[in-house]
Amino acid sequence: MRNPLYRMQEAFARRPLAAALGAAAALLLGLWLTPASWQTATLRLAVPIALAAIGGIFAEKSGVINIGIEGLLIVSAFSSIVVVNWLGDAGATLGLTNLWWGMLAGVLVSVLFALVFAIVCLEFEADQIIAGLAVWLISLGLAPFASQILFESPNTANVARFDNVTVPVLSEIPLVGYLLFDTEPQVYIMLVGAVAGWYLLSRTNFGRWVVASGENPKALDTAGIDVHRVRYAAVLLSGVFAGLGGAGFALGTLGTFSGAGDTAINGRGFIAIATYLLANYHPIGALIGSFLFAGLNSMQDMLQTAGYSVPTELIRTIPHMTVIVVLVLVGRTRLPDAAGDHYESGED
Amino acid sequence: MTESDVETTDGTRSTEGVGRDAAGLSETGSDLAVHLDGITKRFPGVVANDDVDLRVERGTVHALLGENGAGKTTLMNVLYGLYEPEAGRVVVDGEERAFDSPRDAIDAGIGMIHQHFMLVDPMTIAENIALGNEPTKWFGMAIDRDRIRSEIRDLCDRYGFNVDPNAVVEDASVGVQQRVEILKALFRGADVLILDEPTAVLTPQEVEGLYDVLEELTDQGKTIIFITHKLEEATHAADAITVLRDGESVGTVDPGQTNREALAERMVGREVILEAESEPVETGEAVLSTRDVTVEDARGIEAVSGIDLDVHAGEVLGIAGVDGNGQSELIEAITGLRTPDEGTITYDGTDITAWSRRRRIENGMAYIPEDRQENGLVMPFDLVENGLLGSQRSPQFAAGGRIDWDGVRDHTEDIIETYDVRPPDANAAAQSFSGGNQQKFIVGREFERDPSLVVATHPTRGVDIGSTEFIHDRLLELRREGVAVLLVSSNLDEIRSLSDRLAVIYEGEFIDVTDPDDITEEDLGLRMAGQRPDEETHDGPDTGESQ
Repeated sequence: MRNPLYRMQEAFARRPLAAALGAAAALLLGLWLTPASWQTATLRLAVPIALAAIGGIFAEKSGVINIGIEGLLIVSAFSSIVVVNWLGDAGATLGLTNLWWGMLAGVLVSVLFALVFAIVCLEFEADQIIAGLAVWLISLGLAPFASQILFESPNTANVARFDNVTVPVLSEIPLVGYLLFDTEPQVYIMLVGAVAGWYLLSRTNFGRWVVASGENPKALDTAGIDVHRVRYAAVLLSGVFAGLGGAGFALGTLGTFSGAGDTAINGRGFIAIATYLLANYHPIGALIGSFLFAGLNSMQDMLQTAGYSVPTELIRTIPHMTVIVVLVLVGRTRLPDAAGDHYESGED
Repeated sequence: MTESDVETTDGTRSTEGVGRDAAGLSETGSDLAVHLDGITKRFPGVVANDDVDLRVERGTVHALLGENGAGKTTLMNVLYGLYEPEAGRVVVDGEERAFDSPRDAIDAGIGMIHQHFMLVDPMTIAENIALGNEPTKWFGMAIDRDRIRSEIRDLCDRYGFNVDPNAVVEDASVGVQQRVEILKALFRGADVLILDEPTAVLTPQEVEGLYDVLEELTDQGKTIIFITHKLEEATHAADAITVLRDGESVGTVDPGQTNREALAERMVGREVILEAESEPVETGEAVLSTRDVTVEDARGIEAVSGIDLDVHAGEVLGIAGVDGNGQSELIEAITGLRTPDEGTITYDGTDITAWSRRRRIENGMAYIPEDRQENGLVMPFDLVENGLLGSQRSPQFAAGGRIDWDGVRDHTEDIIETYDVRPPDANAAAQSFSGGNQQKFIVGREFERDPSLVVATHPTRGVDIGSTEFIHDRLLELRREGVAVLLVSSNLDEIRSLSDRLAVIYEGEFIDVTDPDDITEEDLGLRMAGQRPDEETHDGPDTGESQ
């Protein structure tokens, strides 16, 4: 069996119009058959997965495997809540609403962590997997610890959440309008981010350099482009995307940050990695893949709410089981040739 | 001036040299595109270039000839800004330059085509050509693909290339990939092109095509520096030849005023016998036989179609053919890396078709693989560890389940010394050696296994002539001792001089099996292009023979 997402990409390349019509028809049928509450929940739960996955694509395509992306989600989610709590739920500071200040803070902290990770990997030639694990473990400990100090509990206080933003006219489109044009800011960010990520990677010179840096850094170096600079930019960009995902998830969906156990992020960064591998590093594919996992997640929530006596532990394993099954069955993912390798100019 | 110029240990020379070429004309009055003056480059423990001078005239092909490790590539990496020299001056177009990075060299109009192509496999040819120099539109927001395509089309028209810019590099043949590298340099406006061992990966036909390209380029005013260790290529393609030996320049000669023997002597530092002498030897029983062997490749296409062959003790059977005609698959089936889909393989009278690779090794089958970095060595391992490969279960090194590392080290050091692996450092990782030295090491390891059958594919690919001579002698010595040798090579001189019988493979079948003395180079080329002996005509494709 071959990767269904990969097959979709191929179908689009061969007969774009027919494939697009077919996909649209399938999508509309799906939307018509499923409850609107499930669809909305799926979109909102997809935010951290999709944005973290797009960020991860940039890092890994450049040759730096960023498995610390779970940690970036944790710190950005936590710090966004802290800043909003500190500035106050309602109102604005310096012309920007406090929720957006929280968003900004989340992204900044995530970028800061990504920068440390990049320095450790690129300057000190640390093993990327070990450094990535360190980012995750540090975040996993640091967020609840800081929460304990600030809120005297591993869980933060509740803060206000983003309101729906309704786009006039477009939101009236039957079947998809309510879903895509009457939703929360973080969902817009996710949708725009996926398209922007795809465009950046495939249509700009920076995107081509990222790909070359991950496939054959020496080719890029001899072409006169500084490999380290490209990798720094790519890792920092993964921090930006993960920060948007983590802070958007906290401020749009949760309104709080729970530091207990695996924290409120609960492995979504790792699912993001599986998602982009499944999508063979295609940002739009990663968006679609994130719907798959978020959809299962929200179905599990709905089943629980409906009071089906399925053990929650079992339901919780569904996304992870899917990841394993899909990755085992797929096997068409092509890892960048130089992913995980250190590169130093002038060495043979 | 770089700082290193000031701090040089050879200070007198470099201060003397300042401004000597200020007018862009050398003392002789000719127009120099590149002038390297007194370049010295050291690596820990090695002086790779010692006070080397190189003067390259504009619009010429200048060969840089030398053995593996003579410092040719190092010198060019200095010119290309990859290394900073400890002493010496780089003068391009009459202007003294200090290149900190390839970017500076590219800006000064220098392009380098490396031995291992610097291409990004999954990207298209157009993307590779433009990489790092992409023209953009919409204020840098998008790559201007139309402009890239039209510029590539212009370059192709001008220099007579034929490449499809939309093809993906990993699907392109090696010859096309090399043209992509040349186009890449031209796209960046290079006037001086450095080609590092450009023929190492090409078939004879592709080499001929490369010579045409070089001629077209120099006709249009480009300057070519051609790194090679092959005498024929230097004498055939170059207008001037500078010979390097042990990091020092031993003079520049005009190819019209010298001969191969004199050049070889200059290069190696002693007299060299260029043709291996293969005297007739009594052959014995068939050591290896295949009957009706058929192998499908990874895509399920028949790569080898029912091949029968016998290699006798004390005999070299050569297989000649253009790469990709099934020789790789045949060899993999014989060595146990691939299971044949049909047919039997017999070794010393035993059917070994189902034998594991390990069992074949343990029974005396030595193998020099085609891709040394992929199949011959573990690149990050040092030579001691690599020296053990294949013998990790032999009682000589692994008695009682424990590896005798001291024994392995002695054995490795013997190989290094006997086969002249440079630098002679058993603790260095395999990847730190040049291709030719890696090859020498693999050949040494396999030959010293005390084999009864040697399967050698391209045993001297990338190896300098001094070591080639040694490997050939050693191969013939093994043959005299009664070892059976199956030799695959795309080097026609090599395969003709070493083989007792020569088989030509074309599209998975033997087209002809003959005595190499009974076939002309020309006919051999025609056979390799698929013409059977019974359909003799002489207007077939070029044989690629240059002499």
